[in-house]
Amino acid sequence: MRGHASLIAGYVPGTSIFHRMLLWRKAVLLLLVAVLVLSFPAFPVWVGTIVTSVVLVAVVLAHFMARLPWSRLWRAVRLMLIFLLLIGVYQWWQFGPATAWTVIAAIVATVVASNILTSTTAIDELLDGLGALIRPLERFGADPERFSLTVALMLRSIPFILGAFSDVKDAARARGLERNLLARSLPVVIATVGYARATGEALAARGLGEACEPSGGNGVEPLAR
Amino acid sequence: MSFPANESIVLADAGVQIAPLDASGAGAKTILRPLSLELTERRIAVIGANGSGKSTLLRLLNGLVLPTSGTVRINGLDTQTQGAAVRRLVGFVFTDPLSQLIMPTPVEDVELSLRRLKLSKRERRDAAMSVLSSYGLDHLAHSSIYELSGGERQLVALASVLAVDPGILVLDEPSTLLDLRNTKLLRERLTALPQQLIISTHDLALALMCERVLVVDDAGIAFDGGPHEAVGWYRESVG
Ligand SMILES: Nc1ncnc2c1ncn2[C@@H]1O[C@H](COP(=O)(O)OP(=O)(O)O)[C@@H](O)[C@H]1O
Ligand SMILES: [Mg+2]
Repeated sequence: MRGHASLIAGYVPGTSIFHRMLLWRKAVLLLLVAVLVLSFPAFPVWVGTIVTSVVLVAVVLAHFMARLPWSRLWRAVRLMLIFLLLIGVYQWWQFGPATAWTVIAAIVATVVASNILTSTTAIDELLDGLGALIRPLERFGADPERFSLTVALMLRSIPFILGAFSDVKDAARARGLERNLLARSLPVVIATVGYARATGEALAARGLGEACEPSGGNGVEPLAR
Repeated sequence: MSFPANESIVLADAGVQIAPLDASGAGAKTILRPLSLELTERRIAVIGANGSGKSTLLRLLNGLVLPTSGTVRINGLDTQTQGAAVRRLVGFVFTDPLSQLIMPTPVEDVELSLRRLKLSKRERRDAAMSVLSSYGLDHLAHSSIYELSGGERQLVALASVLAVDPGILVLDEPSTLLDLRNTKLLRERLTALPQQLIISTHDLALALMCERVLVVDDAGIAFDGGPHEAVGWYRESVG
């Protein structure tokens, strides 16, 4: 299980300008890209089309300035290819080719830009950044460490679940059940629940995500009472 | 009870039961019969068949499972009420390192363990690197955990747990997923550690290197004694 995980995007070590840029600057740039391309409905179609196309080109250039490979760009797009196609067809039919192109370019630009951010920022730095974002909310009871741990766990679970899908597909095929929806989905659910349980236990065992020192209960459910 | 000695593990009538689902008693099950044990030896092995209750016994020791009767105390700390403090004292290594390793690279995973020490980022990275190099794993520091071999992953999981310096180390079948060579390597690494070790295992060579061996069978301790007698007894009982 889980042999396919290395296919999933993650940090690519490097020394490019984006690797060296402070995280908050990268975040501001990403936000800028999103605002530029997603605000097109507020402008005439031809303005939106030009702005979005220029931003898309800039983002793709930035991808290569970060010394990230072609394969990574393609992977980010491939994951949503069907989705893009459906949206494109619908937009073309409803609003014409210029709008269809603008919408697709906007989505691709945002995804590629966020891909650059996650590819050039070590997870640890990302978690610290997220924690810092939450820190002002601390007085309202927010726990920055817990928040960044939760995000880390979410990122960690993606390769597992994708790997489970692929393994279960192979197993179903080996038994001649590839057309059986239940045989292809139920084991994924079971594996995912098992994985979540195991991870929860491992976290508790490592003392992560628990309150400093509980008076009374310790966050672990008794087996039976 | 008297004052606890250093690293004392005391189970007093500790048992684990699944409560029945309804008044008829359906669904009730004894997972571990109440047992009293004092574990003071430096290295203790727990052996026995699959499903006999080894994992439950080990999970009792750090409060991952709470006894439904009796108490478990580690250095006087009750796992029921002082679970977080107990877990700081008792490191736990699981069979599958992938469910234990959370971050994408070994150095980040060790850093995650060190987060509770509230170091600066720089200090944390340095501390994590020195933990890894003290276990001879510095060359793997930045690899993806998915690229490591099973043996390397288990050694990284072990280093992550040891990073916060627990006095007691509990390992649940740490070599069950490993090949013969890595089983041997792990056995050597473990026996060199200064911590008190409680290890459940199917590796009888490892059990023979411990001072005391518990044989678990059918939710209870079937034999408790020196390694040679216990392993001999276990072999006999399997037939
Ligand atoms: N939370 C639980 N709920 C129901 N049954 C359990 C639970 N935990 C363990 N068991 C059962 O208790 C028995 C002992 O399990 P375990 O301690 O994992 O054994 P071992 O580690 O020796 O294989 C098994 O039959 C297992 O199915
Ligand atoms: Mg077990």
